[in-house]
Amino acid sequence: MKRRHAAGYLGRKKRKAGGRGRARSSRTGRRRAAGTAYVLPEHQSAAAVVSVQNEEQTIGRVLQELRKLPLCDIITVINGTTDGSLAAALDVPGITIVHMPEPLGHDVGRAVGAGMTDADIVLFVDGDLPVPASELMPFLTAVSKGADVALNDIMPYLGRFDRWDDVSVIKAFVNTALGRRSLRANSLTSVPHALSRKALETIGTGRLAVPPAAQAAAILAGLKVTACYSVDVITRNRVRRTNTGRGNDVARLIMGDHMEALSNAMEQEGPRLGLPDLVRRREAAGGDRPWGTG
Amino acid sequence: MKPVRRKAAGSRGRGRAGARKGRRLVQARRKPRAAQRRIRVNRKGKPGKTDSKQSTAWKENMQSSPVADEESYSGPPEGAGSPPVVSVIIPVMNERRTIAAVIKEARKVHPSTEVIVVVNGSTDGSAEAARRAGAVVLEYDHALGHDVGRSIGAMSAGGKVLLFIDGDFVITAGELRPYVRAVLEQKADVALNNYHGPRRRRQVHNVVLAKHALNAMLGLPELGGASLTAVPHAISRRAMTVIGTEALAVPPLAQAKAASAELDIRLVDRVPVGIRNRKRQSRERRSPLERLVTGDHLEAAAWLIGQRGRRGGCTDLLRKRQHCEVR
Repeated sequence: MKRRHAAGYLGRKKRKAGGRGRARSSRTGRRRAAGTAYVLPEHQSAAAVVSVQNEEQTIGRVLQELRKLPLCDIITVINGTTDGSLAAALDVPGITIVHMPEPLGHDVGRAVGAGMTDADIVLFVDGDLPVPASELMPFLTAVSKGADVALNDIMPYLGRFDRWDDVSVIKAFVNTALGRRSLRANSLTSVPHALSRKALETIGTGRLAVPPAAQAAAILAGLKVTACYSVDVITRNRVRRTNTGRGNDVARLIMGDHMEALSNAMEQEGPRLGLPDLVRRREAAGGDRPWGTG
Repeated sequence: MKPVRRKAAGSRGRGRAGARKGRRLVQARRKPRAAQRRIRVNRKGKPGKTDSKQSTAWKENMQSSPVADEESYSGPPEGAGSPPVVSVIIPVMNERRTIAAVIKEARKVHPSTEVIVVVNGSTDGSAEAARRAGAVVLEYDHALGHDVGRSIGAMSAGGKVLLFIDGDFVITAGELRPYVRAVLEQKADVALNNYHGPRRRRQVHNVVLAKHALNAMLGLPELGGASLTAVPHAISRRAMTVIGTEALAVPPLAQAKAASAELDIRLVDRVPVGIRNRKRQSRERRSPLERLVTGDHLEAAAWLIGQRGRRGGCTDLLRKRQHCEVR
């Protein structure tokens, strides 16, 4: 028992050395010199999509951080805003702004923004949580080096399983059911994450409005999905009335998203998702032949 | 391995403070019940045999019970004319060593009990051992597969309460009675083992994960990882009719059907079957059984999606999908 804990501790320690907040070179392990870190290969273009509703307090800082990255476009989808978010975004130079007066609903902004760029790498962030450029760069780098879907690895912040929320449980279950247990509870639902052009074309930008469905499609299409870097969005997230407590609206929404992801996958792979029941003689008990075996 | 076992029974995975807290919680839950019991016993003027186990026994007819002390038992109590109150269903495959002891405990759960043993694919004389121990034996030459025996046993069960256990390890009658009592007296439809698998860790077994996920999908997160997959559990005759005996062969599917029919699903006592079930725990992570159980839970999810729609009846929170041409 002691040994297992020790192993886990070392594992976390190692990940930290990659640089939580301090951009360290993966080659030398040293801190990068300021200003020289954020480069991508010349033939690859990158863009960012920011979805914003009412985030006038944070949107300025979010955009300023993004401007430090080698991005050809920063698409800010402002929808259903009733505060000064639009003015705050207009203050920042070099930003593409998409403004829609009515709220689009959860994650639809991402799909709209993703449809407006043809960059090779697209980074997705939210307007309510400023993440330093140094913590965003690993996602661009991961896709640049061959990943199709680079997820935020939230596992260091989740802790023991018996304290997980239902949403994390269902995320881990869907990943496991699709044969990607190693992804644990990591999901396109949480930001930041980056997608390759290939992923966007395979999944279709529209499906990004239901992130778990997009993730399931990516896994089933055999795309390279990885959880590449940890940004703490759990403890830093803004507490809203609708996203706290068990069985809140957002939790029900994400639960529904995962059921939708499962039902999409089941249309393709059968109800047992390639995990057939070959041992039961159900007809002996008056049942039908099991699904997914025939 | 002795220290590990001792730990598992009490304070596994908790620190000292956690263990103390856990104990306090357990005591807080148990105390009123124990007190109630004592009052009941005193009123009847029966002091009980000073043993705590004795106090969980059925008070009425305990002495005159037809199954209490008889050595050679001729058959189920329906010989007396009335159907039994409790049917205990035990699927068995090559479990000759344990089956007699399992049946002996099962017969003591209620004065009017029938024990149905579904022997399938056994070559070690399990059927003979079960018959000798006083059970009704349904015998199949070929293996039926996981949990199909439960369906078959349920089809021929006559009791008001159906109690399901396994043949490979002994659960005492004192541990089993709360399940029967929850269905008989407290009118629960489904009484589950309050056992959630080893989950005080960062990464859990796929089976534990699947059980938690299904309960979350069913909108019953308070059930945690409790599942019809685990024994012991008891269901009422009404629950059996609603779920359908054939669905009992796929326990997660049965659980989904019970939850959808809004049956009263309750957690009863905790029987830590994980520890007694050691030999099954040694299987590998990628074993076929684990894949089977994950598939079972997916089948349950598929059924749920068929019932409640693609999103399982969950909100879309005013997503304007026309903007992103999702189907």
